[in-house]
Formats: sequence, structure tokens, C-alpha cells
Amino acid sequence: MLKAADTLGVVFFPAYDWAISPTHPERQERLLYTQDQLREEGLFDIPGVREYKPDVALAHDVDLAHFTFPGVEEVLTSSHLVSAGGAMRAARLVMEREARRAFALVRPPGHHAMKVVHGTRGFCTVNVEAVMVETLRERYGVRRIAIVDTDCHHGDGTQDVYWHDPDVLFISLHQDGRTIYPGSGFPYELGGPTAMGSTCNIPLLPGTGDQGILHMLDHVVLPLIERFRPEIVINSAGQDNHFSDPITNMNFTAQGYAELTRRLGADIAVLEGGYSIQGALPYVNLGICLAMAGIDASGVVEPQYDPERVKQEQRITDYTLSLSDQLMSYFLDPPAMPKHGKAEGEWFVREKEVHYDTDAIFERQREKVLLCPDCSGVVSIESRADSGPLCLGVQIPPGACDACRERGHEEFETGQRSRNYRRAMLVDRPGRAVKRVLI
Amino acid sequence: MLMGIDVGGTHTDAVLVCRKGLLAWAKAKTHHGDLMRSIREVLTAIAAKAGAKAISRLNLSTTLSTNAIVEGLTEPVGVFVSAGPGIDARAYAVGEHYAVIPGCTDHRGRVTRPLDEARAREHAARCKAAHVSVYACVSKFSPRNPEFEESLRAVVHPQADFVSCGHEFSGQLGFPRRIHTAACNASVWRVFNRFADAVQRAALDFGLMGQVNILKADGGTMPLSVSRSFPVESILSGPAASVMGIIAVCDIAEDSVILDIGGTTTDIALFAEGAPLIEPDGAVISGRPTLVRALKTRSIGVGGDSALSVLEGQVRVGPRRLGPSMAEGGERPTLTDALNVLGRAELGDVSASRRGVNELARANGMDGETLAQDAALAAVTSIRAAVIELTRAVNDRPVYTIYELLEGKRVAPSRVYVMGGPAKALEGLLSEVFPEEVVVPEGYAVANAIGAALSRPTLSAELFADTQRGRMLIPGLDVEQDVPRTYSLDEAQADAAQRLGDYLNQLGVADPEALVETLEAQSFNMVEDGELVGRSIRVKCQVKPGVLPGYREAVRQPC
Repeated sequence: MLKAADTLGVVFFPAYDWAISPTHPERQERLLYTQDQLREEGLFDIPGVREYKPDVALAHDVDLAHFTFPGVEEVLTSSHLVSAGGAMRAARLVMEREARRAFALVRPPGHHAMKVVHGTRGFCTVNVEAVMVETLRERYGVRRIAIVDTDCHHGDGTQDVYWHDPDVLFISLHQDGRTIYPGSGFPYELGGPTAMGSTCNIPLLPGTGDQGILHMLDHVVLPLIERFRPEIVINSAGQDNHFSDPITNMNFTAQGYAELTRRLGADIAVLEGGYSIQGALPYVNLGICLAMAGIDASGVVEPQYDPERVKQEQRITDYTLSLSDQLMSYFLDPPAMPKHGKAEGEWFVREKEVHYDTDAIFERQREKVLLCPDCSGVVSIESRADSGPLCLGVQIPPGACDACRERGHEEFETGQRSRNYRRAMLVDRPGRAVKRVLI
Repeated sequence: MLMGIDVGGTHTDAVLVCRKGLLAWAKAKTHHGDLMRSIREVLTAIAAKAGAKAISRLNLSTTLSTNAIVEGLTEPVGVFVSAGPGIDARAYAVGEHYAVIPGCTDHRGRVTRPLDEARAREHAARCKAAHVSVYACVSKFSPRNPEFEESLRAVVHPQADFVSCGHEFSGQLGFPRRIHTAACNASVWRVFNRFADAVQRAALDFGLMGQVNILKADGGTMPLSVSRSFPVESILSGPAASVMGIIAVCDIAEDSVILDIGGTTTDIALFAEGAPLIEPDGAVISGRPTLVRALKTRSIGVGGDSALSVLEGQVRVGPRRLGPSMAEGGERPTLTDALNVLGRAELGDVSASRRGVNELARANGMDGETLAQDAALAAVTSIRAAVIELTRAVNDRPVYTIYELLEGKRVAPSRVYVMGGPAKALEGLLSEVFPEEVVVPEGYAVANAIGAALSRPTLSAELFADTQRGRMLIPGLDVEQDVPRTYSLDEAQADAAQRLGDYLNQLGVADPEALVETLEAQSFNMVEDGELVGRSIRVKCQVKPGVLPGYREAVRQPC
């Protein structure tokens, strides 16, 4: 009889009554065949593997991760709260030692949702990992967290949420941004001025196969994690690097994903993208579940698998070898300041434009962080979506120094008094209230 | 007039029910080596009262298959499995004659690699040489396309006494469950059929002209003729009889707990708004999950005959049964003895109970009264803990839609119904540990047999349609047909209900009062390259398990 070497909790939530539109890639059918495969394989009958239902996130949980304008209730649907709640449940399973590892197989995904949320971009509205990370901090006091994003698209949302956070190591492996949405994720994106080196981007050439990603894992991801010494490792597990995915150009296989999962040994995985819902998801998700539970996954092979077709070209192998060397030297000796933005007095300011492709919203931001010598610094973001009202979000970072906490409140009050903003939000944590003000 | 017989672990109970009420009942010891003897004993006791000819239906629940499986008294099965990619199918090997035959069907029922029939023939030859004569053929995703199982059956059929195919049991997915269900079914086929022969003979001897049915784990019945091909469906029918008995005897409308405290075990069941909960995936037999539809019950090793022991000053009850109570000539004090000592029961030789309990107490530096008190408390406490655990597990079960999650109802029992031998003796103590109202119905001792008598035929069917491929299947009913690309969810629901009704008619057990209900109905758009190419439709319906309403009024008791 089979038995899990590591207990695994799977929070499976296919949201069979929610879709962006009937034929949208992110629709009801998306996890249907995964469910068929997991059920048919008898995954949840294996001792040590259990299925759980998600928690439901509250607006407060979302507020700790995002500045949502005009508000959580207006922008998010129940489905988003359940998906984020699914990730929260996964965290709860691991932290309360009900399971050694947990996999939140939920939809919709979240890694393109940035710090400020006006709507949906890249099928994502709320960053479910970020909501989960804030849960880990608020409820369980976890401090150092590593997130490894293995989705084919750059995890620009998660990167943005933790850009100024030196306690969250964010590593994204993805198809080169010059060839695919969202067009970002280059090696020079290393984090904000007070968190340089806590973000790492590994752009891969189209056509990269199992060999390439495993090389990057062994030569960049695992060494960086070892150096960072996180208390917990999270995998943003997007399955769209698969050779059969309709909206990407990579050559990963179910075996590659299973091996990646095994070597990475993440405590929690959260499903991200992956739109080859018949050819890849059932097999990749099964492979990941087995690998997380420490069960042999070598029999998980896609019916269309052809070793010749997914073979990695020599030029790609050469590129990955040189990129891994470059990245490591970059990280061991980073530049003093980020490539984009400039210092203005005590603040470091970055102007940003964000396009919400799914909802056709265009947003302009002026983001500033206080260059504090004692902590990672207060962050203040001024945001306007299309011709809408100007909004303000102020975040006092976890573990802020007293001066920064004071500056944060001052910044928020000045903002209110200025009458420049229609909506303003202040996050002072941990454990303190989130203030939302409609002016 | 209806007759119900429940062959339990300790006693065989029988009742005779007419439209006016309970006409007669009888109880006999269960002779494990010879179940027919117990059945004949209760038949003799009862049939005379009614006149055998007036009995229109005999429903029988039996532990025969369960016991044969638990005790390993089954015959070797030749198992043919076709798996394809996924978890290595060798992990699911049952018995010594198990072979994985190359070939693969995917989740939509498309053959992605043909079946290697030559390898199947080799395995068949090996089985034949080993004198194996019953077989199970199972392929992955067979509810989506039973072709491989049929091919395997064709290979082995000439040399087989009996062949079970996985898709005949359920349209539900669960490959390892399917393997075990089919293999289990084949392994008990012969012993069950001998029993069925004996039952048929006994019925004839007694002049019973009515239909003979076997109770299933889901609380419904199947005709004896059907049970011959699906003996595995008769497992766990004991707890099912108890649950149906409570439904028959009491008017349960709210969320409730049912406790059937027997000699060896206490079976726990849950009701939500008056309806018993079903095990969504299937029953577990001898540690192996199956696709056998079953009521959701949990069994713990606490019963009247549970042996008492003291470990580091802690009094424990069960989980093992080491013979009967001392009051009934046993050698070790049991829960029943403790209840005798406490004056809560008066069963058999009370002085023997006192002697045994006092002796155990002395050996552990306690007095008999305290030990008995602790034992009774330990019993009801572990029952309550198991109830809490089961309720928690039910409320924690996964759901798949936002609607279900946000509107999801939680089971919150307000009453505890207790039945079985020690029910009355434990009533007071149970009331102390359960905050819910504890009810012991009047007919608590034979409610299980009443449940067996009044249960009606049930059947469930899972329909799967793929409009892109233009196919519709109901694996359990052996239905497979082409459908147009416009085939809709409404048509699928109508088809499933219609086919279920047809099948019941064919078996001659159609029940005009039976309610066919849809348990699940889902239709998913299948999109390829941004185009809607078809729909994947899944419908699950059942003849709702329940008791015959005409007789229900007759056996209703104040609860």
C-alpha cells in the first residue's frame, strides 16, 4: 500500500460556479480534469494525503496585503475571497502541524495582483500568496519568508507587493519578459532601495525545458534560499511552462515539475496559472502533489509526451549556464540603488504605470519609500486609475522603527488634510488596525 | 406483510411487519460458522405466526461478505489492471494473481495507447495454471470508456466461473477503489452464491413465495438475483439496517446522531435534516477504500461485550471483544458486567459480573463499584469523542462551488437516538455526557430488523456525456449511446432518471412511490483554441433510500 512520506494537505477549490467569461482560459473547466485525475488516481485515499476545504478571506485579510480602491467589497468577488482563503487554509494546515506540507489548488490565481488594486490584471485580482504571507505574519509570527514563483509569467504582482520588504525573498523563474506578458522580470529588478537583493528574476528563453529550469533551481534558487535562511518556503506553482500550454512557449514536462517540486521542498504551494487544462494540468498537478507528499511520481507522464519534441536546444543550455553565473555575481555584489526611481530628500521616488489588461484600466502611481537607516521605511503610494479620483495608500512596514511609525501616521494625516485624495488607506501592523478613509 | 432479518455480529433478529404494525419478532444467537442455522431459527419462530404465504417480501441483511473478507475466507482472484500514466498501479496489487496490462485511456475516455491483449492472454494462462477461476478486470477511467475492461473480460471469459468488471459498480472515478471493489466482489462471489442458494432453499422450504432481497450498505435493497453478481454491495449492511430502523421507528426531522450499541461495536451515523448522510466516495472494507455506496457510519470498538482493562490506573473499555460477559459465562469482565454491577442492567448472572469486576478492581487496588463507574464513563466518553470527530469531519468535507462554501450548511445534531442491546442501560450515562437530548426508542432492540424489513430497492447512476465526442455513458447500467452535439444538461438529467427507472422495471422491483432525485448535475464548456467545442456533462441521480411509507405509520413509536 502507498503511504505519504510527508503528510500533505490539499486545499482543492475548483470554483465550479465562477468564470471571467464562458470561453476565457480562466473558466469553470480549468480544474475539472485535474479533479478527474486526482480522484481517479485515488490521491485522497492515500494515507497521509487529505483534502480540505478553503477558509474564506475577510476584507481585513486582504487589506493587510493590498491597497484596494475604492474598497475590497467593490473590487473582489466571493471567488477571490475563497481563493485567498484557500491559500490561508494551506498556511494554517502547515503552521498548526496538521500537515507537513500543503498545496492550495485554487482558482482564480493571484500573482499579477500588485500592491495597489483597482481591478483585474492577468486574470488576477487579489494576490492570494500575499494574503497568505500576511496571515503567516499576523497569526503565526513568521518573519522571513521565501517565495519561489515558477509560473511561466513573471510574478510582477508579488514582486510589487514585497518590493520594499527585506524579509521576503521573492524569486521568479519565467519566460523572458521581452517575449510574453507582463513584459517585466529582468535581472536588474532587485528590490527597492531598502530591500535590494530580496527580489531575484530569472528570465528564461522560450523553448527552455526541464533541464534549464532544474539548472536554475540548483545554481541560483537553492543557493539564494540557503543564503537567505527563510523560516518558510512558498511555491507560486504556475503550470504554464508546460510544453502543451496554449499561451506560452516553454517545454517543461510533468516530470520536470515533479522533480522541481521535490528538490525545492516548499512547505506550501499555491496554484497560479496554467491553461493547458487537458494536456498538462491533470498530470502536472498530480506530479506536484505526489512530489510534495514524498511519493514516487515517476509514473506521471503526459499522453502526448515525446522526448524529442521537448528536448532543449544547445543554445538554450548555453544561455542558462551563463545566466546562472551572471545572476549569482549580481547578487553577491549588487548595485547600491535600484535602476528606476530617484532620491528626493529622505524619500526614494518611483513613477509607475500599471495596465490592467483584463479590466482595461490604466493606472498611474507615484510610489515613495522613506530611506530609513533603522528599518525598511514607510511606503506611501499615490494612485490614480484612468480619470478616477486620486487615492493614497500608506504602509508602515512590519517591524517599523518608532520614527517610521510616526512618519507613517503623519503622512496619512497630511494626506487627509491636503484634500488631494478621495480615498486614503493606512496599514499599521502587525496586529493594528487598518484605516480606510473616504474623504 | 414484510419480513426483515438482520444477521448481526452477536444476534440474528427478525421481525414481521404488516400494515397494522409489528406482528412478531424473534431473536437468536448468530452462529458464525453457520449463518443459515440462525436464519432458519428465526424463520421458524416467526413464519408460523403469519403463515409463510402472506409474506410478500423478505429483506435480509447479512454480515457474510464482510466476515469472509475480514477473516480472509475468500478465494484467489485473477486481477487484470490497465493503468497508463499516473501512480504506479503495482502499488494497488491485491492478491498473488495481479498483472498490469499496458494500455491507456485518458480522462475523457480517449484511448491514448492501445491495450496489449497479448500480455493479457499471458496473464490469463498463468492464472489458469494456478487454478484461479474468478477474475476482476479494471482499467483506469473505465467509467469514461469501458472498452478495455470489456476486452479483458473477453480474454478471460472462456476460463472463468465469474468475471467482475470495474465499470459495473459505479460511474464514479477512483481507480484504486475500483480495483479493490471488483477484486473483492469476485473473491466473495462463490461463498456468497452458496449462501444465496441456501437462502433460496430455506425460503422454498418455509413456503415463502415473496421476493427475497438483500440489504445494501446504502440502506437500500437489491433482489437476491442481483446480489449474486454484486455480493460486495451487501457489505456493511448491518449498520445500514440500524439506520433504516431508526428512520422507520422515529420521525426524525432534525440533525441527529444515531448510536447503535451492539455487543462488539458502537456504530455511529449522522442525519442532516432527517436524512442519513452517505459516504461520498464509498465504503472502506478491511482498510481498503471501495466504490460501494454506503451510509456514512463510523464504528468504534465499544460494545456490551468489550473487555475491561486497567492501564496505569486508567480503566479502559475495548476495543477488543474477548468472549461474552461474565454474566453470560465469559472469562473476563465486560462493559455489560460493569453495567450489572452499577445496577443499570440485569443481564444473566449478576453475581458473576460482580465477582469478575471486583477481582479486576482488587488486582489494581480499586474497589469494584468505582471500577464499574469508571468503565461506564470511559465507554460513553469515547462514544462522544467519536461522535464529535465524525461531525467535525463531515463539516470539514470539501465543497467545490462558491455557493456551497458560502451557503454551506453545517450538521449540528440536536438529538441522539440510541439503539442496540445496552441502549437502555447506558441511557442515563449518555445523557450526562451528551448536551444533546438522548432518546432511546421503545423498539430499540429490534429496530434494525424493522429497518431491514422496510427498506426499499435503491439504485444510483452516474451519467457522463461528452458532446464533442458525441457520446453518453451510464457505466453502472451498461448504457452507452451516441448523442447529438446539442445534447443538454436537461436531456442528460431526464435520460439518467429514465434509464434508472427502466432498469428497476427490468429487475421487477419498480416502486411507484420511489423518488428519483438528482444529486449532482453539472455541465462544463469545453473550449479549444478559444472556441466552444462541446460540453462535458456529469449527472448523478439515485432512487432515494428510505422506508416504505405505507408501513412506516404502522411501526412508528413515540421517540
